[in-house]
Amino acid sequence: MEMMSIEADSVVKVAEWQQTYYATDSGIQSGATTVQDDESSTEYSGNKKYTNSTTTGTEAQYSLTRAQRVRAAMFPETLVEGEAAMPVQSDPSQQSNVQRLAEPSQLLKTALVHLINYQDDAELATRAVPELTKLLGDEDPVVVNKAAMIVNQLTRKEASLRVLVQSPAMVASVVCAMTTATDMETARCTASVLHSLSHQREGLLAIFKAGGIPALVRMLSSPVESVLFYGITTLHNLLLHQEGAKMAVRLADGLQRIVPLLKKSNPKFLAITTDCLQLLSYGNQESKLIILANGGPECLVFIMRNYNYEKLLWTTSRVLKVLSVCPSNKPAIVEAGGMQALGQHLTGSSQRLIQNCLWTLRNLSDAATKQEGLDGLLQILVTQLGSDDVNMLTCATGILSNLTCNNSRNKTLVTQYGGVEALIHAVLRAGEKEDVAEPAVCALRHLTSRHQDAELAQNAVRLHYGIPAIVKLLGQPHYWPVVKATVGLIRNLALCPANQASLREAGAIPRLVNLLLKAHQDTQRHASSTQHTYQDGVRMEEIVEGCTGALHILARDPINRGEIASMQTIPLFVQLLYSYVENVKRVSAGVLCELALDKHSAELIDAEGASAPLMELLHSNNEGIATYAAAVLFRISEDKSSDYRKRVSVELTHSLFKHDPAAWEMVKYLCLWMSVCFCVQRCWHKSHTHS
Amino acid sequence: MNREEAPGKSPEDMYIQQKVRVLLMLKKMGSNLTPSEEAFLRNYAGVVHSQMSQLPQHNIDQGKAVTHAHTHTHSLTV
Repeated sequence: MEMMSIEADSVVKVAEWQQTYYATDSGIQSGATTVQDDESSTEYSGNKKYTNSTTTGTEAQYSLTRAQRVRAAMFPETLVEGEAAMPVQSDPSQQSNVQRLAEPSQLLKTALVHLINYQDDAELATRAVPELTKLLGDEDPVVVNKAAMIVNQLTRKEASLRVLVQSPAMVASVVCAMTTATDMETARCTASVLHSLSHQREGLLAIFKAGGIPALVRMLSSPVESVLFYGITTLHNLLLHQEGAKMAVRLADGLQRIVPLLKKSNPKFLAITTDCLQLLSYGNQESKLIILANGGPECLVFIMRNYNYEKLLWTTSRVLKVLSVCPSNKPAIVEAGGMQALGQHLTGSSQRLIQNCLWTLRNLSDAATKQEGLDGLLQILVTQLGSDDVNMLTCATGILSNLTCNNSRNKTLVTQYGGVEALIHAVLRAGEKEDVAEPAVCALRHLTSRHQDAELAQNAVRLHYGIPAIVKLLGQPHYWPVVKATVGLIRNLALCPANQASLREAGAIPRLVNLLLKAHQDTQRHASSTQHTYQDGVRMEEIVEGCTGALHILARDPINRGEIASMQTIPLFVQLLYSYVENVKRVSAGVLCELALDKHSAELIDAEGASAPLMELLHSNNEGIATYAAAVLFRISEDKSSDYRKRVSVELTHSLFKHDPAAWEMVKYLCLWMSVCFCVQRCWHKSHTHS
Repeated sequence: MNREEAPGKSPEDMYIQQKVRVLLMLKKMGSNLTPSEEAFLRNYAGVVHSQMSQLPQHNIDQGKAVTHAHTHTHSLTV
């Protein structure tokens, strides 16, 4: 019915159009053909010409039929009831040219009809806009309401919408009417108008220039859901496509109004809201702090935990990713359970969601080292170590490295989940990708120290053939963060006696010694400067400490001890006793203590003048340093004179027993006794010499 | 220096006490002892027993608390 009505209107309109603009019949509705006949004639005319010689009864019949056929094809609505075009083709399966042209002709006709309607709509709107603009500013709210409804209707058609968009006065009056609306319907209509306008680029600019943004922000406090929807969606369009909109929303306190909307429950509404927050906070620290101050982290984590609409989860994860680089937001997100909530979405089907969650988790992980309840997350991350996706590997290794840092429970869990083997494979697959290798090695270093399964992890590295690959990381070209992490891992691996031979066979000792020499030379070169030397963000003093520490533990094995000593390292270790870095003093005293187990090395240590710095180190506040120093002195003084041993004893007492009052009493007796012994010895010696 | 007499409260005993303490701390830190040092401890088992309870309970040879977590900031894409 509707189609017939439209078609009838079309016929009328064309007739009118003809009277206005054209005297001749174009044939658009009548069907009169202007195209070349598909047979022989080359003439173009409004009517077909027939030569006398060819005009016969049969041909006339064919001609009439053709015209009817064309008309029927293009304008079926004009056929008289019962009238039908006679088919001309003998083979029903073969279409005639008219039949083939039927559909394109219909499309052309429809397009022309739309053009005519468009022009009408545009003209109507152009005439109405000034009046409507005035009515929207009327004192009578009923008038304003009616005007708003009409304007809203006009936005439903493209032609009239374009007219509205091009009228700044109209847009301004809509904004004003929305702001001052006293009834919900007017507010809804005007908000809807702005929403429609915001789909056009000119509309966005018109809204922006008319001060629409502060008005829309105020609408975000409306109790009417549809007004909220129009408001947030229009603002979203402005934020996406209108330059200056972000600043305007921020200035209008938009964030303070948008964050509370996170408590709504419509997932699609929330998706737009969260996207607005992401657009406003990206690269803007002040915005991130406003979101924090208004309880944003808690709301966002709630959404991640309780919704499953993919687009909402994705937009929310994007906001969290933006906030996760903010030092103030980071702990708030973690405290709100962000790690656990993000971890829920690492095994779904949406790759973009998984990747966003991983980046966010990595950003947050350094603030989450004391978080509990991460068992599930740790297990998933260990599984993801098997991925070939380099982004996923980068994130998984980075998160695991941070979460196992100084957290013995997490270390044990990751070890139990098969983390050692998975991390070794990650190291092997990383190759030269330092973003994967460094955190993977750091994570292994954490797993091999200071938790109940550390020894298990140390053995697991060897059993999964990890030692050669790890030692190889010390080779050139040096990427110092990887070198530093690897040296620490080797030190931990050496704590396991069963690993000592494997480490030696993999060539760990010469690599460590060479690195130590290189790093030490570098520190000496810059010794006069007060500034530390950094390479790839790593201080060479850290490399010196790390390498010496690893060699200290390796030296517990007698064969390794011999190899270390044979590389002329003793003079360097003695020199390191003078380091201003306490840790370097400790590890160098430690390695000398091990080397001094061999008598020959003990003699070499003594020959290098180690006694003097070692005596000083007896007074160190660090018990480890004082103990190592004492042990080395004991070992090098076995064949020394009693004077030397007395001095060692006194120095030891001053250091190791200085806080023990009873011990000080004993020291007095010791000194007195040693002095008496000494005097007696001298007297005896004198008497015997004289005689 | 390495006397095999039973420890008492003499200054000499003080020295023995020192040496025992140092050797015990070395063992606690995981270091090796020479055969003569092991024998020394066996000889002065009584002093060893009294010193064991006075050794510090915390880990001695740990240096600084090892690692600080890395701060990662992923470069964001809109």
